Amino acid sequence: MHEYSLACEIFETVIATAHNNKALAVNSIKLEIGRLTHVNADQLLFCLDVLSRDGIAKGAKIDVNFVSPCGECECGYRGDAGVSDNVRCEDQPPLYEYTGLTCPTCGKLLQLVGGNDLIIQAIDIEI
Amino acid sequence: MLMHVVNINKDVLKANNELAYSNRKLLVKNRIFAMNIMGAIGSGKTTLIEEAINSLKERYRIAVIAGDVVAQMDASRFEKLGVRTVAANTGRECHLDAKLVERSLANIDLEDIDILFIENVGNLICPVDYKLGEHLRVVVVSVSEGDDTVLKHPMIFRTSDLAIVNKVDISEAVSADPSKMKADIEQLNPSIPILLTSINDRISIDRWIEYIESYLK
Repeated sequence: MHEYSLACEIFETVIATAHNNKALAVNSIKLEIGRLTHVNADQLLFCLDVLSRDGIAKGAKIDVNFVSPCGECECGYRGDAGVSDNVRCEDQPPLYEYTGLTCPTCGKLLQLVGGNDLIIQAIDIEI
Repeated sequence: MLMHVVNINKDVLKANNELAYSNRKLLVKNRIFAMNIMGAIGSGKTTLIEEAINSLKERYRIAVIAGDVVAQMDASRFEKLGVRTVAANTGRECHLDAKLVERSLANIDLEDIDILFIENVGNLICPVDYKLGEHLRVVVVSVSEGDDTVLKHPMIFRTSDLAIVNKVDISEAVSADPSKMKADIEQLNPSIPILLTSINDRISIDRWIEYIESYLK
C-alpha cells in the first residue's frame, strides 16, 4: 500500500533512537505486523533495506513478528483466529483466509479483534 | 563493544488513529455528521455525493473534503453546487489520512456545517488502514469493476458501515451480476446495509439520500 512512507517513518524512529542511545551500529530491528493490515512485509523490508544502505543501520537484520487477530463470536467463543504464525513473510497468508473464518462452536462468522498494528518493538544496537 | 536492546514499542499506524479521534471530537462538538466515501476510481463516489448535495442542501448546511492525488477537478464539481469545498491533495499517497483531514477541517467554518462528505482517493485498499474521524464509512463499488471485486478486497467491506453497489443499470453490458456482489458483501459482513444504485434510477438514488437522513434525526 504505502510501504515506502511507512518504511521512512520506521527508519527515522530507528535512527533517532540509535542516536539518542549513542549507538555505533544498529544490529537488528524488531517489527510487529498485524495480519489484517494491508502492509506488504516484503515491500516494507525492501524499502527499509534501501533506506539503510548507508549509515549506522547498514546491514541491520530485520525480524518480523506477525500478529494474528483474535476471533470473537456473539455466542461467547473467544480464541485464536490465526492461520499459522510460523509462515515466512513471503508466505504471508492472503487476507481472505481471515475474512471467512467461522466460529468453531456455533458456526457464525467470527468478529476479528486486533491484528491491525504496525509496531517497532525494539532495536539491538552496539554502543 | 557492547550490545544493547532498546525497546521502542511505537505503533506506526496508531498516530493516525489518535489524530482521527481528535478529528471526531471536533466534529461531534460542532454537531457535524461526517461520512468517509471510499471506493475505486470511477466507482461513482463523486456523482453519488453530488446527488446527495443536490437533494439535501436546502435543508442542511453541507461541506465537502475532496481527496485525490490531484483534487481540484472533483472539488470544482462540488463548488458548482454552492457548498463549502476543500480540495485535499494527497500528492503521492493513495489515501486520505487523519492529518490531511485535520488540515482541511481548519479551512471550514465548522459551526456552519451539518453534514460533511469526505471523498477518499479512488482505492479499495489503503483507506482501510486510515481512519479519518468520520461517523460513517461508506464503500462504493460499481459493477463495471467486475463482480469478483468484492471478494478481492475483503477488508474494506468488513470495516465499512454502508455498502453501495453502483451502476447496476449497466450490469448486462459489463457481464457482471450485482446480486453476486451483494451476496459477497453479505458473506463478508452480514450486518452491513447494502444499496443497489444507478444514476438512471431516481428511486435508488433517493434511497441513498434517505439513508443519510436517517442518521441526522
